[in-house]
Amino acid sequence: MSEKEQDESTAARVSDPAEVARMAREALRSAARGLAAYHFDACVRCGLCGESCHIYKTDPVPENLPGAKAAKVASFFRRYHTALGRIAPFLVGARALTPAALDELVEAAYGRCTACGRCGLNCSVGTDVGAIMRAGRNVLAAAGKVPPNLQAVVDNQLETGNQMAIPPEELRDTAAWISDDLRLEMGDDDAKVHVDEPGKRVVYLVNPREVKFFPLSLMAAAGVFHAAGERWTMSSRFYDVTNYGLYSGDDPAAAAITKQAVEEAERLGADEIVLSECGHGFRSFRWEGPNWLGEKYAVPMRSVLELLLEYVREGRIRVDPAKNPARVTLHDPCNLVRWGGIVEPQREILRRVTSDFVEMVPNREQNFCCGGGGGMLSMSEYGDRRVASGEVKAEQIRATGAKIVAAPCHNCADQLLDLNKKYRLGVEIKAVVELVYEALVL
Amino acid sequence: MLVIERIVAAASLAWAAALLLAQLLTAWGGGRKDYSVRAGSPGRAVLFNLTAAMAPAHKEAARLHPGKFAVGVALHVGVAVAVVEALVAMVKPEAAPLWPAAAGTLAALSVAAGLYLLVRRAVSRTLRAMSCPDDYVAAAVTSGFILAAALYGFGVLATSPFLIFTAVTFFYLPLGKLRHALFCPVSRVDLGRRLGYRGTYPTLRGTKS
Ligand code: SF4
Ligand code: SF4
Repeated sequence: MSEKEQDESTAARVSDPAEVARMAREALRSAARGLAAYHFDACVRCGLCGESCHIYKTDPVPENLPGAKAAKVASFFRRYHTALGRIAPFLVGARALTPAALDELVEAAYGRCTACGRCGLNCSVGTDVGAIMRAGRNVLAAAGKVPPNLQAVVDNQLETGNQMAIPPEELRDTAAWISDDLRLEMGDDDAKVHVDEPGKRVVYLVNPREVKFFPLSLMAAAGVFHAAGERWTMSSRFYDVTNYGLYSGDDPAAAAITKQAVEEAERLGADEIVLSECGHGFRSFRWEGPNWLGEKYAVPMRSVLELLLEYVREGRIRVDPAKNPARVTLHDPCNLVRWGGIVEPQREILRRVTSDFVEMVPNREQNFCCGGGGGMLSMSEYGDRRVASGEVKAEQIRATGAKIVAAPCHNCADQLLDLNKKYRLGVEIKAVVELVYEALVL
Repeated sequence: MLVIERIVAAASLAWAAALLLAQLLTAWGGGRKDYSVRAGSPGRAVLFNLTAAMAPAHKEAARLHPGKFAVGVALHVGVAVAVVEALVAMVKPEAAPLWPAAAGTLAALSVAAGLYLLVRRAVSRTLRAMSCPDDYVAAAVTSGFILAAALYGFGVLATSPFLIFTAVTFFYLPLGKLRHALFCPVSRVDLGRRLGYRGTYPTLRGTKS
């Protein structure tokens, strides 16, 4: 991260109220000409969007209604960017960006909305509430109001290159013992987790959770890559597929996090960056990243799900669905599916590697958020609401009768583990790549 | 004939058009280049989001609230009828009201819809909590405009007061929530374009599958 970027992403954490207000207004001005611009004036406050939001469905109080949350952000827009808002703020519900109003917005923007965007697809008029709420987060990030636990994750990413502050030596150690286990399991001395090897075709980014707590998915990916004869590596410095700048609303920080990983892949001379199963990571790198940076990437990028499907279709790996006989259902992470456009690859893969695949209802772009999106998992102050709002997803899972939930997102997987416990679902949560690995015919 | 009223109504229409255009240009802000690599078809997705995606099969707000959806449709049909009546009255005030019975009936029905929505907003705790005075003013202005069109259609109201109602409505249009008349389709275009660019839209599946 350059000094200039460091300045931009942390400058907002200042204590002078006038400066805070100035930066918040600047962020609002930019949002008023950005993604949210068309949507501030679209909502008619009809109140018909409640059932589309998992948070309102599980706690139907007025402040959880999507339109009401959007109205909080729009009230600032109206105050500074509409004629009546300037002349007669009371008439149009316009509010000034005061410290108290900003504090109130924290609760609505971070604590009551995961910016999953489901309500926008189902809104009477087509208001993208998710975009409005992220504009709210842009304003709060500029004012230095990001909840501390969420900000700490962003800081880790900026300072250490990964959200869990795992040192490079630990990554190399973990890769070494995963490689030992993999060689034993595959009965092949060449199987390994490749680290810091320049000139490979693929640079693979993973969620640090895979390195720290859930190495099975990294091992599975390494096994499948090996079986496919892939030339691949990870970097020990910048391998983090996540980007908490998307969640916090701090675009300069999000740009810096994107840049460090993309430049590392270029340095390693890769032909392609492959993103492991992570919803918001995929959205951040694949779609938002080039726009945060204001330029096209030099190295192309895709999801590991697209690569896995290619392996299966082209016969680079052989799989036997009978090896996964239990009923499997699929969770659609909002940022991977609705906002990422990766809708069918995971389905085709599961149909090929499992023998009893059933869909949740609703699914695909109409999926419900699991409740762990929007950085909720890192904000412990909203933990109870997070688990309560996940009841919608829990009931969807229960209705399928599945024994395994394929979750192509490690963030969602963490939430699903909590839901499994709380709602006694009796399911296993697995990454798609784990099911592919288990179906491999070697 | 009715020169002053026609000029006032036309000026009000011009004011609305100019302000809405200015608001749209500000929101557009010169556009936003997308540096990511496109995966789908934005054009097809925009078309989808302006058509099939608005049907109850794809839109829970409509599917789960059929009665309120129907009321909303009635209100907007009434507005459309009233606008056409108003434009004709501005251009040719000596002409009889367009389709008197049909227009009047439609407009009357939508007045009922407008009043229902106004009362619903006032009595629902949830709606009240998210509403501001503009919500009530906008509903009153709209209902008043349609009522004027209905009375005009039935031949009860003269052209002159109808044109005054028209001028008031067009004057308020770009100031408060009524500007959703422009930003509703614009937001559907924007959301459809983004979802299409990424390959999520269009889709044939609805919320029940
Ligand atoms: S977001 Fe859409 S459905 Fe919800 S209140 Fe606003 S216009 Fe109505
Ligand atoms: S974006 Fe998601 S969490 Fe936020 S209000 Fe809409 S449905 Fe609820």
